[in-house]
Amino acid sequence: MTLYEVQALLHGRITGVAPHRENELREQVLDRPSLPALERVEIYARMYIHRLVDAVAEDVPHTAEMLGHDRFVDLVRQYLSEHPSCSPDIGQVGRHFGAWLRGREGLRADLPDLAILERARSEVRTAPDAPVAGAGTLQGLPPDAFPATRFVFCPSLRVLHLRHDVRALWDALDKNRDERPAPARGRTSVAVWRQEFKVFHTALSGSEAAALEVAREGGTLEEICAACAGEPEPAHAAFRAVLSWFADGWVVSVKSPRLRGRH
Amino acid sequence: MVPFLGHGIGLRTKHFPELLEQGRRADWFEVITENFLHVGGRPRAVLEAVRADRPVVLHGVSLSIGSVDPIDRQYLRDMRGLANAVEPAWVSDHLCWGTFGRHNAHDLLPLPFTEEALSHVVARVVEVQERLGRHILLENVSSYLTYALSTLSEWDFLAEVSRRADCFILLDVNNVYVSAINHGFDALEFLRGIPVDRVAQIHLAGHQNLGTHLLDTHDAPVPDPVWALYRDAVRRFGRVSTLVEWDDRIPPLDEVLAEAEKARSLASAVLEELP
Repeated sequence: MTLYEVQALLHGRITGVAPHRENELREQVLDRPSLPALERVEIYARMYIHRLVDAVAEDVPHTAEMLGHDRFVDLVRQYLSEHPSCSPDIGQVGRHFGAWLRGREGLRADLPDLAILERARSEVRTAPDAPVAGAGTLQGLPPDAFPATRFVFCPSLRVLHLRHDVRALWDALDKNRDERPAPARGRTSVAVWRQEFKVFHTALSGSEAAALEVAREGGTLEEICAACAGEPEPAHAAFRAVLSWFADGWVVSVKSPRLRGRH
Repeated sequence: MVPFLGHGIGLRTKHFPELLEQGRRADWFEVITENFLHVGGRPRAVLEAVRADRPVVLHGVSLSIGSVDPIDRQYLRDMRGLANAVEPAWVSDHLCWGTFGRHNAHDLLPLPFTEEALSHVVARVVEVQERLGRHILLENVSSYLTYALSTLSEWDFLAEVSRRADCFILLDVNNVYVSAINHGFDALEFLRGIPVDRVAQIHLAGHQNLGTHLLDTHDAPVPDPVWALYRDAVRRFGRVSTLVEWDDRIPPLDEVLAEAEKARSLASAVLEELP
């Protein structure tokens, strides 16, 4: 057997991609009195699933708790067969788990959204650092520069569009309370961010979510105001939102023709 | 030649508060490379605080140097970027494979010790060292199986890789012991087969005895037989930077530091006995 063939054989068995070919494994792996060849391979197969289940559970501990150990392991096994790890960082293996749960039957309806929120919090916790801009940056701008001003957001900010409001459920689980609020169906936009080492999340109003989406895509302040058109005073709503983004440390720089070279 | 750093420990999340807020330190720290690629927040702050006053080395688990997959060049670029930022004393990974068809098993799988595998690994180590612009260290792994087609011993294979590719060896004494028991070879023969001038670092760790085999768990103190083998290693290789690994059921920092101190005193006693 070539090196390629040996690795194909062993990898298939360990990861479950090609679990059979037992006779070939018996030929390639040496038997010893203490442990037959196939049991030696099984040591690696068991470690594979345990290691990856642990990695996903680290991302979504509350979701894992809600599912219970056996159900969680079973779901992760299925998930891995569709989303095997392709990153050198084992911490990336669970990044699609929440979205993948949406296609499963027999689960509490809001569990996928809980998993998506937990994964986002996990990503935000260790996302790259960036020095944030203070609201004072805006004060240096002449009013006629405002419409063309754009904002650059910190890499740790995440905006989620969930199908359920899972904040109360997350809170109950995080505080170890016995209550389990019933699933709260309804589209909810949630921002997740970090200040220093602490991770926060909050729900966004419809207009703020729209404004933030425009801003994160590089839209100007004028376009951000347009996204708040549904508000009684769109300009005020947009400025309130922008100021809160600065206060929460979401903005790292301001781009304006009048600030060229200063951002 | 790589410098002597003393007796260090692995940088682990559980110890972040004591390291960051109380300024506790070992002689040096080993960090898992993959845990710090594109990472900010608390882990990065702790790494920078520790690096400000102690040497750090990068220890990878995903290089997959023996895999038949193409070398992951993005991973190498990321590692090089981290190395430029951290300025580690050296970078290391394992003599193993873990990916196939770009699918990562996240394990340190043993290689068949054949001429084909030897040529394959040597060529890849040369490429990696060129791309990183530095020599690397390769660590012997614990293993639970051996291949019928192997024609070399593990120690001959490791020694030959280090000579042909001009890389260094991270000698994991616990892994030597675990594999020796699991495969029935003489651990001292392993040590005797490793070239003295290639060993740049030693690992120590604990394992579990599962009856049919030893499992490399890194979840317990270094057991007596591994300490005994460490003495033999110091006798053969002399003064070598030594690191205690503790990755699961991690005790308070003091306990891990005490293991590093034990390694220091054992090594000193052995070195004093040498002619």
